[in-house]
Amino acid sequence: MGFDLREHTADVAVEATGETLDAVFGFVADGLAAAMCDEIPDDGERFDLTVRAENREALLFDYLDELIYERDVRGVLPVDHEAAVRDDGDGEWTCEASARGVPLSAVDARDVKAVTYSEMTLEESADGWRAYVVFDV
Amino acid sequence: MPTFDADGITLEKVRDYVWEIPQEGGMNAPARVLASEALLEEIQQDKTLQQLKHSAHLPGVRKHAICMPDGHQGYGFPVGGVAGIDAEDGCISPGAIGYDINCGVRMMRTNLTYSDLQGREEELVENLFSNIPSGLGGGGVVETGMDGIEAILERGVDWALEEGWAVEDDLAHCEDEGVRHEADAEKVSKKAKDRGSNQVGSLGSGNHFLEVQRVTDVFREDVGEAFGLEEDQIVVLIHCGSRGLGHQVCTDYLRDIEQAHQGMLNQLPDKELAAAPAGSQLAEDYYEAMCAAINFAWVNRQLIMHRTRQVFERVFDRDWQDMEMDLLYDVAHNIGKKEVHTVEGGEERELFVHRKGATRAFPAGRPEVPAAYQDVGQPIIIPGSMGAGSYVLRGGEQSLAETFGSTAHGAGRLMSRTQAKNEFWGEDVRDDLREQNEIYVKAQSGSTIAEEAPGVYKDVDEVVRVSDALGIGDKVARTYPVCNIKG
Repeated sequence: MGFDLREHTADVAVEATGETLDAVFGFVADGLAAAMCDEIPDDGERFDLTVRAENREALLFDYLDELIYERDVRGVLPVDHEAAVRDDGDGEWTCEASARGVPLSAVDARDVKAVTYSEMTLEESADGWRAYVVFDV
Repeated sequence: MPTFDADGITLEKVRDYVWEIPQEGGMNAPARVLASEALLEEIQQDKTLQQLKHSAHLPGVRKHAICMPDGHQGYGFPVGGVAGIDAEDGCISPGAIGYDINCGVRMMRTNLTYSDLQGREEELVENLFSNIPSGLGGGGVVETGMDGIEAILERGVDWALEEGWAVEDDLAHCEDEGVRHEADAEKVSKKAKDRGSNQVGSLGSGNHFLEVQRVTDVFREDVGEAFGLEEDQIVVLIHCGSRGLGHQVCTDYLRDIEQAHQGMLNQLPDKELAAAPAGSQLAEDYYEAMCAAINFAWVNRQLIMHRTRQVFERVFDRDWQDMEMDLLYDVAHNIGKKEVHTVEGGEERELFVHRKGATRAFPAGRPEVPAAYQDVGQPIIIPGSMGAGSYVLRGGEQSLAETFGSTAHGAGRLMSRTQAKNEFWGEDVRDDLREQNEIYVKAQSGSTIAEEAPGVYKDVDEVVRVSDALGIGDKVARTYPVCNIKG
């Protein structure tokens, strides 16, 4: 359980598995951080974020988009992700999450431009949950 | 009829370098690949052809969806993809234009020669690297508040002119004179503006770079003269886009369109192709927001170019005007534009021409070509890898008939970033380029150099040869790197 960076000609893909939906959301976000930075130091303060969307897949998309936004406006690399996902009913899903924000000045990091829906998979498996997400680099 | 079989997809040879995937299933038109057999062998190795077929599902796609010779797998729509989609009864798709709206390339001439630079490469590359913001969190040439961002979004390079970051001549040598007047800053979210506010005048990272180059070959003397290019001359090439602002515009509208136009989305094989029907409010809003992001990208490249002039002034102790550091041209290669083209049956239609990893390539006489190049055709700049050199082409006579006036945008990637990091070590690539090729490279991280190593790209010579042979973009000049900086 965790994540792997997968081959993609131009961009980068993250495949993650987790026992729960919460875990797989966090692992995809950890994969996003790994796609941007090879060596992550221990410093940085934690911050919270909350995202709402109309279904599970859209929630994962919006969660990752929000992390990229926070990276640019806070000037930090979000790492060590924790996420709690819940179905509020009536087509509303919420993700309450937190991350440690490592100052970009403290890392050699590369840009990931955006999350994409291309080939996106978020599915329940025998062992829990599996996600596959392509990011634009 | 000769065919090419690519893992379940059969391409029929129409003529040399033109291959067609017949219309089938939910496709609204056939799809074409413009490539030699050698390039086609590479193109068929990933999901490019599948994505090309998917792009032909977009409602209102006219004639055929097209993949340029440098095409490769992207997200939803292939990189190197062109689709002319009817602006009255078709649609517009943010994912088919790309997140990096108006990612593009500009080339600045100088009157310096290679010998003027030799011995000063190290000083120049260090000065460029420390003065041109790059990488993640590197800031921009200027930092501006919301008023400044909105002025940039609405006025494009005219804003830079007023702020002292451009001269009139720069506007005259930019596609659309550096402004899309349809831009509406109000259609751009606060989130996007927030991301852009500290990135005005920044390269970013990935495949974006600034390169000082020397002209090694001029293939068409008359056109070379019109472009102001001659052998041994030093030029500067800048490749970047609309940074976080443009990425956010695409993301925002992709999500809005997904929710509002589920019916159209259900007809499409990939959610990333989500499209707004022509004439819908979201189609208009996205077009105006995209035009604003286009303006932002032009300002971004303009500020980097003007800062480069200042760096050259310091290094060579001469005025930039004295070094004749003038903009040759600025081209976009991720863009959607309303243009009139001839479609099936000889009918003239207004289209949303989607170019994602493809460059506009209008021939002489087309009204959109700037006055300076009306007689020879629009300049096209094709960046190669940092070890292979780049090309300047001009819009070819066949481009309007074949490709809605488009050609390739680069060498095209061949190897994934993860594989590149396994096969190359950044510091080794940098040292080899310096020792064997006299190319001075400086980057924020060794990983970026490894990911962009010359070996990860297709043969740019072959891409340009095919473009030239098809008459969609004619070879004018070739350049070779001297100094390269990247994020």
